[in-house]
This record gives sequence, structure tokens and C-alpha cells, in this order.
Amino acid sequence: MAGILRILGIIGSGMAHNRMLWLVVAGFGLFPIFTHVADLPFWNDLAMRIMLLGIAAMGLNLVLGYGGMVSFGHAAFIGIGAYCVGISQYYGLMDGWLHILFALLACGITGLIIGVLALRTSGIYFIMITLGFAQMLFFLFVSLENFGGDDGMSIDRAEFGIIDLYEPLRLYFLIWGVLVLVGVMLMVIVRSRFGVTLQAIKSNETRVEAMGLVPLHYKLVSYVMSAMICGLAGALFASWQEYVSPDIMHWTRSGELMIIIILGGLGTLAGPIIGAIVFLLLEEFLPLMLETLLPAYAENWMIIFGPLLVLVVLFGRGGLVGLINRIIDRLKGSSASRGRS
Amino acid sequence: MTAPVLSLENISKTFGALIATSGLSLDVRAGEIHALIGPNGAGKTTLIQQIYGALSPDSGSIFLNGDDITSLSVPARVRKGIGRSFQISNVLTGFSVLENAIIAEQARRGHCFSFLSPAFSDASLIAGAEQLLDRVGLLARASQQVAALAHGERRMLELALALAGQPSLLLLDEPMAGAGIEDSQHMTQIIDQLRGKVAILLIEHDMDAVFRLADRITVLVEGQIIAVGTPDEISQNQHVKAAYLGDDS
Ligand SMILES: Nc1ncnc2c1ncn2[C@@H]1O[C@H](COP(=O)(O)OP(=O)(O)O)[C@@H](O)[C@H]1O
Ligand SMILES: [Mg+2]
Repeated sequence: MAGILRILGIIGSGMAHNRMLWLVVAGFGLFPIFTHVADLPFWNDLAMRIMLLGIAAMGLNLVLGYGGMVSFGHAAFIGIGAYCVGISQYYGLMDGWLHILFALLACGITGLIIGVLALRTSGIYFIMITLGFAQMLFFLFVSLENFGGDDGMSIDRAEFGIIDLYEPLRLYFLIWGVLVLVGVMLMVIVRSRFGVTLQAIKSNETRVEAMGLVPLHYKLVSYVMSAMICGLAGALFASWQEYVSPDIMHWTRSGELMIIIILGGLGTLAGPIIGAIVFLLLEEFLPLMLETLLPAYAENWMIIFGPLLVLVVLFGRGGLVGLINRIIDRLKGSSASRGRS
Repeated sequence: MTAPVLSLENISKTFGALIATSGLSLDVRAGEIHALIGPNGAGKTTLIQQIYGALSPDSGSIFLNGDDITSLSVPARVRKGIGRSFQISNVLTGFSVLENAIIAEQARRGHCFSFLSPAFSDASLIAGAEQLLDRVGLLARASQQVAALAHGERRMLELALALAGQPSLLLLDEPMAGAGIEDSQHMTQIIDQLRGKVAILLIEHDMDAVFRLADRITVLVEGQIIAVGTPDEISQNQHVKAAYLGDDS
């Protein structure tokens, strides 16, 4: 048991943001008890949305935060994952495991193709080319009249063997399980030889080449993995929304994912999920708050939201995770100095 | 005599109208320290870049241990036995000294596509990395962040990273640039200890270090070799005195 806790970084020399991740994950695991007692079922729905975007952001964080590749098109992979469910159901395939398999395959292949082409560039060109591919895929799905075109298509929640997703909390814990799985996977990968090499490439590609490695190979593999994680989130998103349209892969969602990661903490394990919590809570409640406080601004809540994000990015070095770490350090420091005196 | 480690045959490279390397041929023998000197803009870095693979020559061939490597990529040449330090020191910032060495060590062992085994807690990688740091006298600084290193220490770390791949040829581009007297002496001593173990092509402006270290010296001016010889031969050479060393005396 202690061994597992040590591996997960909950005890021992694990980094603080591992512990933060598991704390948040545990929070989501216990959250339905709270909503049940407080009789706020709506909040379960919001929690699922947060977890779904959190999983997708964790996927993007592998390339953006750990690999330093600013991909502005990851919503496309969420969309492909979601459409894998929609299109499968259109042809009568209801098995959720099969949907997930299709989503992983489709996103893996698309990620490989986009990655091979886009990773030849860097900087602003990489940003533009990933955005370009995502827009192409967006308009591809808009043009597919069979699958609803612009309007999208209604779908049923997928079938996972004996688990009936229409029963209360089944979908919630399916999403939660995937969150745990992706969290463990990323934690292991980030510390592995591969993960360390990827972070070295982010730090200094020239030096990694001088070590005899081909940076492109590592970037490509991480790109494909992150596409697949987003695809997985997308497949679950479809079941949660019971509906899929090209909107799910709109370019603003790619931007949203990036903001979530930067807000939470670039290249940290807990950053994306913490960022998703704060981002979606603000998105949900800032308009309501403004309505009571500053009714004149309620419609334009983005005017407050935008600058707020800019402030966090500018002054919260390392995002919210960095901020929390610094607060913990400060508390530890002051208690240590009190102990000494 | 054994074959040279590095052999350049009639290398040329132009940037537009500028001739940076002009029909240059050069051998670096096994185990020797071969200094490449010349005024700023002579084409020394450009030559190193072509040997390393970051630039490709317009014409000519490059042989490493008898193999034609002219068309190989940088990583492929590194795996064949080239290590280098850069004119502007080039290490992995954001990592500790030990982590830098571990990453270099695992790259040499060549199994970086492992997704499970943690890198920084692998006992055998740590052992290899510590050995590497010990060679350049940085073991005591292993746990420091790179950002906390003094300039000379960064240079030492870079040398350790270049040595990690167990190269047969080491390309050092101004390893003493910007270093104080003490750091230069330390670097000179470390490079001296490498003599005979690895062939070194050394670009350096510090003439004390060059004349102390070099087994042979090549003098480059405007992309052309104007003299090759032992330090004694070079210091007596009239052309060199006129074109280059003359500045100092
Ligand atoms: N990428 C490049 N494009 C154009 N000119 C270059 C380039 N790199 C170097 N040069 C020119 O080639 C000449 C040799 O440069 P370099 O090899 O850096 O000299 P050194 O290292 O001997 O000081 C200089 O005149 C420099 O301006
Ligand atoms: Mg130079």
C-alpha cells in the first residue's frame, strides 16, 4: 500500500503537484455525496463537464506544458472522438468500448498525420498550421450532411456492458475513472525516460540533438498520445452531452484548453484539472455574480473574465499550482521560523 | 599509422558571395588535441558546424573513422562518435546538474522510448551520471540547479554532456570564452586529461591555453588553411606571424 502511495507521489519525495492532483481527484470522487446531501444534482453535471475538459486539457498539457509545442488545434481531437460515437451510433453500433476504441484509433491516426506535417515547423508557424488543420476538420464535419452538418446529431449514451449510463452517477464515475487513469498514466510518463527526454527537448532542442537523439520522434509520439487523450475525452463528452455537433471542435475550444492549462499551471500534473475547475466555475457563476453586483456588465462578463485571466498569467508564475505551492512554502517557512525562535 | 579520426577532403561553403570555407582539407589524428585558430570571422565555427552536421558543405567530403558522414544528420553523426560544446554554452536549463547528466547518460544508452521506468531515480543512470560529473569536477555541485552555476561551471557541465556519448571526436568551440583565469586553467587541465582518450578539435582564442594544449595547430584565415604544424612550428611561421599572431607580438 505504502509502495503504491509512494509511486503516486502521495507520500515520500513525490512533487507537491502530484499530491494536489490526487487531492482534486479524490474531491471529485466524493463530490456526489455532497451534491446528494445538499440536493444539488445540477452540480454533478457541472462536475462532469469540468472533468471532461480537465482530461482533454491534461492531454494537451503533455505537448504544450511538457513538450513546449503550442498546438492551437486540439479541439479537433475532442471533436473526432465525439463524432466517433455519433457516427458509430448512426450505423447502429452502441457499444461504448467500441466507440472508445474507434476514438483512440481515429485520433491516433489523425494526430500522426497532423503531427508529421506540423512538427516540421515551429513557433508561430506551428500554431497557425495546427489551427489550420483543426479548421479543416471543423468544416469537414460541417459539410457532412449525413451526420447533421451544422446542426449536429442527437445521440444516446453509449452501452458499457452491464453498466447502464442512464442510471444515476454511472456516467459520472465512468468519467471519474478515466480521469484517474489518465492522471496515473501522465504521472508515470512524465517521469519516465521518454517524459524526461520530452522535457529536455522543451528546454533545449539543440542540446538534445547533440546527445544523438532525434527530437522530432519524441515530439511526434507525445503529439499522438495527447491527441488520443483528447479523443477519449471527446468520446465521453458525446455521451454526456447526448448530442454532437461541429461546435464541440470550434477553434475557441482549442483556445479554452490552452487558457485552462496556463491558468492552472503549464507543465504540472494538477494544473489542467485545477484550471478547468476555476475556468468553468468562473464561466458559470461570474455572469450571475455580475447580475446582482453590476447588472450593467452582466451581458459582457467576458470584460471581467479576460483581464482576470491575463492577471493570473502575468502575476501567477506557474499558474494556480505555482500560486498554491508558493503559499504552502510561505506557510511552511513561517511555521519553521516560529519553531526555531 | 592508424587512420585519422576525422578527415576533411576539399570542403567548401559559401554564404552568398562570402566564402566561409574554401577547399579545405584537414586530418585530426586519433587521440590528438588539434587546435584551430584564426581571427574572428575566419570561418572556424562554420567549419565545426559542417563537421557536426548542422551545416552541409557545398562540396567536399567528411570522413569519421573512415566512414563518409557527409550526408548524415546531426544525431546520426553524434551516434557515430562526435561530441561537441557550443560557442555559447548550451546545457539543459530548468534541470539540476545531475539531471542534465542523467539525460545525457540515458541518451547514450539509447533507450529513451521507455514510458514506465522513472529516469531520475534509476540507480544505474545516476551512477553513470555521477561518474560523468566526476570527470569534470562537478560532482559536488550535482544537486544544484543549472541556473545557480557559475559561468565556468556551466562550461564544465557542457563538456561533461559532450563526453557522455563517449565520442571519438570532440568539437570544442571556444570553451574558455568569457571565463576567468582560474576557470581557464581548470578547463585547460581537464582538456589535458582527455589527451589520448579522445581526439579533440579545439577552437580557442586564449593562446596560452592553445600552445599549452595543442599537439598540432591549424591556422585558418578567410576560410583557408595558411599553416598546419606543431606549436613550435606555428610560432616560428612567418605567414602566421604576419597574418595572425603578429597582432599579439
Ligand atoms: N549562417 C550564416 N549566414 C551568412 N553568413 C554567415 C553565416 N554564418 C557565418 N557567416 C559568416 O561567415 C564568416 C565566418 O564566420 P564564423 O565561422 O562564425 O567565424 P569564426 O568562428 O572563425 O569567428 C563570417 O564572415 C560570418 O559573418
Ligand atoms: Mg566562432
